[in-house]
Amino acid sequence: MANHISSAYDRDLEAIQTLVVKMGGMVEGAILLASQSLETRDVELAEKVRADDKKIDALELQINEEAARVIALRAPVSKDLRSILTVLRIAASLERIGDYAKNMAKRTGTLVDMPAIAGSDAALRRMAREVSLMLKDMLDAYLRGDAVLAEDVRQRDQEVDQMYNALFREFLTFMMEDPRNITACMHLHFMAKNVERMGDLVTNMAEQVIYQVTGEMPEEARPKGDKTSYMTEL
Amino acid sequence: MKDTNMQNPKISAKNVQVYYGDNHAIKDVNVEIADKTVTAFIGPSGCGKSTFLRCLNRMNDTIDICRVTGEIKIDNEDIYDAKVDPVQLRAKVGMVFQKPNPFPKSIYDNVAYGPKIHGLARNKAELDEIVEKALRKAALWNEAKDRLNSPGTGLSGGQQQRLCIARAIATAPEVLLMDEPCSALDPIATAQVEELIDELRQSYSVVIVTHSMQQAARVSQKTAFFHLGNLVEYDDTTKIFTNPDDPRTESYISGRIG
Repeated sequence: MANHISSAYDRDLEAIQTLVVKMGGMVEGAILLASQSLETRDVELAEKVRADDKKIDALELQINEEAARVIALRAPVSKDLRSILTVLRIAASLERIGDYAKNMAKRTGTLVDMPAIAGSDAALRRMAREVSLMLKDMLDAYLRGDAVLAEDVRQRDQEVDQMYNALFREFLTFMMEDPRNITACMHLHFMAKNVERMGDLVTNMAEQVIYQVTGEMPEEARPKGDKTSYMTEL
Repeated sequence: MKDTNMQNPKISAKNVQVYYGDNHAIKDVNVEIADKTVTAFIGPSGCGKSTFLRCLNRMNDTIDICRVTGEIKIDNEDIYDAKVDPVQLRAKVGMVFQKPNPFPKSIYDNVAYGPKIHGLARNKAELDEIVEKALRKAALWNEAKDRLNSPGTGLSGGQQQRLCIARAIATAPEVLLMDEPCSALDPIATAQVEELIDELRQSYSVVIVTHSMQQAARVSQKTAFFHLGNLVEYDDTTKIFTNPDDPRTESYISGRIG
């Protein structure tokens, strides 16, 4: 797409895009570090995730302010308008993911004093890794205006949901086997649910990228994999 | 371009070509314009939007080297038919110009002029009524009622433009053509005229040429984008400003070098 006649307008839009990508990179890091801090029982690392969340929140504010300024000064239309709307929604979703990562880090601080639940730390880390890869691809799709890649990300949320289903079952089993596992399993389940919600938010962002590129929200229903709402027994 | 046929168009243009001498100014334009709707024509200078607007009440007849071919119908009647009297046509299809151009007469006479020459009033009382109605419709009555005999040129720019609108609607037209009616007005007067355009939509088919993208977005329901004499895209205004089909429309409305 050709440049605007007003080059300052282009610079404004690019500056906002840079902020979004920076925020995305920080959130990607927060997801990975939160799951790593759990696996290695690293309280200091968990503390860093909690502290860094303030920077993520500050970036969201900055993006909102810049977006409001562009709307006020440039009255964007069409693709420019869609890109500003997309930026606002992506920033809000990223901020939520940051909060989930922070919540995971808090629980890590609690879990260090409890016995490990076999295999669950690694399973959570694999799940978090999958979500962080989806986020990375979503950011690439956003940067390149690639609706095909965004659609691919959207489809991959199913895999995260399946991992969550499996973990849900596992935690139920551990809790039934030995009530002393309940506290740890409850915390771990919240962490798994956090990661599952992150996947949903990445999916929303991917849909927003499709909207920015094509002008339309994807109509086709996305495959939903979280079946735990209907689970009554193992 | 997608099919824009509508059920009962007020104006229907088919294969319209306009030449100024050798210059092919309008290239095969097909468009249908709805009644009780504001339709905006947008496009860069020289794209043909004003030329096409002027075809709709045969204002181009007055230009010797201008030649119009194709078919333009209003209410299914060919306005270029030999039987049509252009003066009668212009009473039915009123026009408001870029710069307010009141006659050097009183406010009253400015509005009464059209109805008088078209014989729309049988006596003074009827003429008074027509003038008051037109001034009310143009949202100028309250400001002008106590100074109907003062010269129209003594009004402010925005008031003068509303006076011109009152003059245009005094002959009870069905279509109102506006060629950049706000480009010489300040933002307050512009807002007043835009508010007025929205009200006029209840009674008329309004076609407005504007260079202000925001104005087109604010006042119109349909927007047509002209470029180099072609009608590039014609669709609902919302569609044109949120997700146009043609990349040339996109470039123009978002302020890019097309």
